[in-house]
Amino acid sequence: MAATAAVVVGVLGLLGVLLQAFEKGLGTEGNVPTFILITLNGLTLAGLYFISASGLTLIFGLLRVTNLAHGALFLLGGYVALELVQDAGMSWWLAAVLAMGASGLVGLVVHQLFLRWNQGQDLRQALITIAVSLILADQMLAHFGATPTAIAPPEWLAQPLSLGVYDLSYPRFRLAMLVAALVVGLLFWLVYTRTRVGMVVRAGVDDTQMTSALGVNVQRVFAAAFFVGSALAGLGGVFAGTALSLAPGQDQSFLVSALVVVIVGGMGSLGGAALGALLLGLVDQYAGAYLPAEYSNLSALLTFVLLAVILAVRPTGLFGKAR
Amino acid sequence: MTMDRMLTLGTRGALAVVLVVVALVPVLCTTFFTSQVGLTSLWLGIVAVSLTFLSGYGGMVSLAQTALFGVAGLIAARLSVESGWDPWAAALAGILAATAVGLLFGAVASGSQGIYFLIITLAFAQVTYFYFAAVPTFGAHEGINGVRPPAVLGDPVQDPARMYWFLLVVSVLAFLGLRHVSRTAFGLALQGVRDDPVRMAALGYNVRLHRILGFTLAAPVAGAAGVLSAWSNTRMSAGSISLAIAILVLTTAVIGGLNRLEGAWVGALIYTLCDTYLRGWTDRFTTWLGVVFLVIVLVSPGGVVGLLGSAGSWLRHRLAGGAPPPAAPSTPAPPVPVSSGGAR
Amino acid sequence: MTGAATGPVLRVRGLTRRFGGVVAVGDVALDIAPGERRAVLGPNGAGKSTLFNLVAGADTPTAGSIELFGADVTRLGARQRTRMGLSRTFQTSRLLTGLTVEDNLYLAAIGVSGGRLRLLRTGRDRTAREQARRTAESVGMTDRLATLAGDLSHGEQRQLEIGLALVAEPRMLLLDEPAAGLSRSERQLLTALLLSLDRDVTLLLIEHDMDVALTVAERVTMMHDGVVIVEGTPTEIRADQRVHDLYLGKAHV
Ligand SMILES: Nc1ncnc2c1ncn2[C@@H]1O[C@H](COP(=O)(O)OP(=O)(O)OP(=O)(O)O)[C@@H](O)[C@H]1O
Ligand SMILES: [Mg+2]
Repeated sequence: MAATAAVVVGVLGLLGVLLQAFEKGLGTEGNVPTFILITLNGLTLAGLYFISASGLTLIFGLLRVTNLAHGALFLLGGYVALELVQDAGMSWWLAAVLAMGASGLVGLVVHQLFLRWNQGQDLRQALITIAVSLILADQMLAHFGATPTAIAPPEWLAQPLSLGVYDLSYPRFRLAMLVAALVVGLLFWLVYTRTRVGMVVRAGVDDTQMTSALGVNVQRVFAAAFFVGSALAGLGGVFAGTALSLAPGQDQSFLVSALVVVIVGGMGSLGGAALGALLLGLVDQYAGAYLPAEYSNLSALLTFVLLAVILAVRPTGLFGKAR
Repeated sequence: MTMDRMLTLGTRGALAVVLVVVALVPVLCTTFFTSQVGLTSLWLGIVAVSLTFLSGYGGMVSLAQTALFGVAGLIAARLSVESGWDPWAAALAGILAATAVGLLFGAVASGSQGIYFLIITLAFAQVTYFYFAAVPTFGAHEGINGVRPPAVLGDPVQDPARMYWFLLVVSVLAFLGLRHVSRTAFGLALQGVRDDPVRMAALGYNVRLHRILGFTLAAPVAGAAGVLSAWSNTRMSAGSISLAIAILVLTTAVIGGLNRLEGAWVGALIYTLCDTYLRGWTDRFTTWLGVVFLVIVLVSPGGVVGLLGSAGSWLRHRLAGGAPPPAAPSTPAPPVPVSSGGAR
Repeated sequence: MTGAATGPVLRVRGLTRRFGGVVAVGDVALDIAPGERRAVLGPNGAGKSTLFNLVAGADTPTAGSIELFGADVTRLGARQRTRMGLSRTFQTSRLLTGLTVEDNLYLAAIGVSGGRLRLLRTGRDRTAREQARRTAESVGMTDRLATLAGDLSHGEQRQLEIGLALVAEPRMLLLDEPAAGLSRSERQLLTALLLSLDRDVTLLLIEHDMDVALTVAERVTMMHDGVVIVEGTPTEIRADQRVHDLYLGKAHV
């Protein structure tokens, strides 16, 4: 019932967008060029969301930990890369790798120190990660200040790329972000389908079966997953810092987006995260551009209505397993 | 036995003394302290207790309490400032609206549990925040200024004594009311739902209905806190209900202790004291708040009240000369809902 | 109640439950007469608990129908079936661990008698409290009334689990391995308790302990791999070669 209503509203929304995009025909004078740019914005934003959300969903899928410090690790990665590129004059690529390492390391330490011995107490772990994120965010504010700053993109991605239609060009870096998301998605897909760890994630194995499924080194696998998941948050931060900018408060807004993405699809589901990222990126951009002017400042609200509706209909997300 | 009785009387006496001291704050302390620390920790305690009730007795850790707080506060503020309503009538309308919204939120969220519940209520918090931040009727980001509390309560800034006592009375009523609920058939069943929803369904209970009603019951409490906050600060805006504030209320409740209702005010007082006096000492106030939060969650799931409780029973044990610790109290402290448990 | 006296209390047809590829219960038919004591036996993974979950409404069948006291309840939830007079225990105890033994039993009493949403104390409360204490006595827990259910020993938890099913004075009782983990003397107490049940109560019992099962039961249903393979009296079951094979883990049927 509610599901049908949600689908109907979604389809109507999309029709509304398409109607406005094509109402003046396909000519250069029409709305199509803008539509293409907005769609690209939505898609590349989806890529960014997917990169950071994939780390969150990995950690959840394997450890059943909802890491609410994910946003702080995201921002940390961005700031580390900023410092390395701007002050140490390091190349963007090396800085990105080191930033991933830094976020991964901090995540690993948090896991080892605070979360490891609370396995299975999901709300307590969530509270712990909230506390960690408060501390991290305040420390970053102390060290990096409150002025929004952006990371300079690598040289050859700095110039816009000509799209070849309607004389349009588009920032190369944002397209690279989409490619990176596809690469991350592909790697995940390989891990999920080809390895035992992936099997565990997909099956939603519970604690008692975990050891037999993963062998004796469960704790090492968990630690690695936490490192990789946190490093992906850091990578997201580097991309966000380059394509957009870094500022205090972004930890929360990106944590919330990553949660929306992961929850919409169902925690632990990779395909769900991809779908969630697409939905969030496109809804965000289309709503900002195509909602009637008097409602356009409500576009931020729409995302959360979407989340609430999906959770109301399916309490564990679109592809989430009932627990 | 007589020793036990004496100790119980002793505890009651101590509580009475605490209450008297708290009631004397406006007489004994400065206007600044009464208004800055007193008023703030009381209304913060009331919104936090609505969360403590939900999580302690219902297993529902909600981030939407500030949203309900905002619905009541902003509607009451708007009706009294812009539409010229009597402040009491405006307050009533705001609290009723918050209750209705609570019913809606509860109905939508009641199917989710544990971490999913936390996140769906986070979505509610965000929806409410963005709504109030966007809609000009409620002053958008500016909010509504110049809220005037009822004349009998006096001026909250110049002469906060009466406002303080009013907030104290509301706090005591909220505490007694929620404690009463926790002991009724409804409240016990709510705790049953917290412990094991599958079992409760097998016993003939409508688990979702219980969750919805529990959530709805906590809504007017959060709403009252919103109105009182608007009165105390003479203003309210969307910024008063941002995600950071929602997390702050959660932090407060956790520091005080999610196991016992009084924890909400203890946490609120600790937070307000630190907020008022520590900020002068350190620039990194939030870091220290986070550290305290972290330590509490790690070492004392019962919060500060839990720590005091264990210290108290240790002392009793000592005083009673090594007699066995007193039997379980009539209302047991529910365990912290650290796991979504139940339907595994 | 009177109408059901003639027909079976529980009537199950074509009942099937699949979990992905696993057929936990496959096309099971079952008739339980009023007042009957029936045991369901079978090796681990036979589908016994799944069958109970389906009958109690904790799980929904992939196919098939369930009639309880003469009414089709296939589409009803656990809550409605409980209010019709069905009670069950769980294989692993599901207790309200943060509440006292007395409150556990009290909640079980008002779960069917009504007043679940009451915010004031009334006379009916006293009746339910008395009912709770009486049940505590019959399962031997009077001295534990004020203890938190989470603090009970394993044996006591199993006792309370049965208590929760008995308070509501059900017409039909489903017990899932009530003797699991009990000591020899506790088992004897349990057997005595089951034998002392009112004859109006229909009993369906899963039990690995043959002593308990075959003493209490009048008829036995043997399950394996989700299907019923034999049904008969305890004597017939004791003599059945297939049952011996299964329980000694020899070959498949
Ligand atoms: N929720 C579930 N999800 C997936 N498979 C399940 C689920 N519940 C039961 N099964 C499977 O169904 C089959 C029957 O399980 P069931 O618990 O009913 O057996 P049982 O006869 O009660 O065994 P036991 O004597 O061990 O209690 C098993 O293969 C089990 O793995
Ligand atoms: Mg079983």
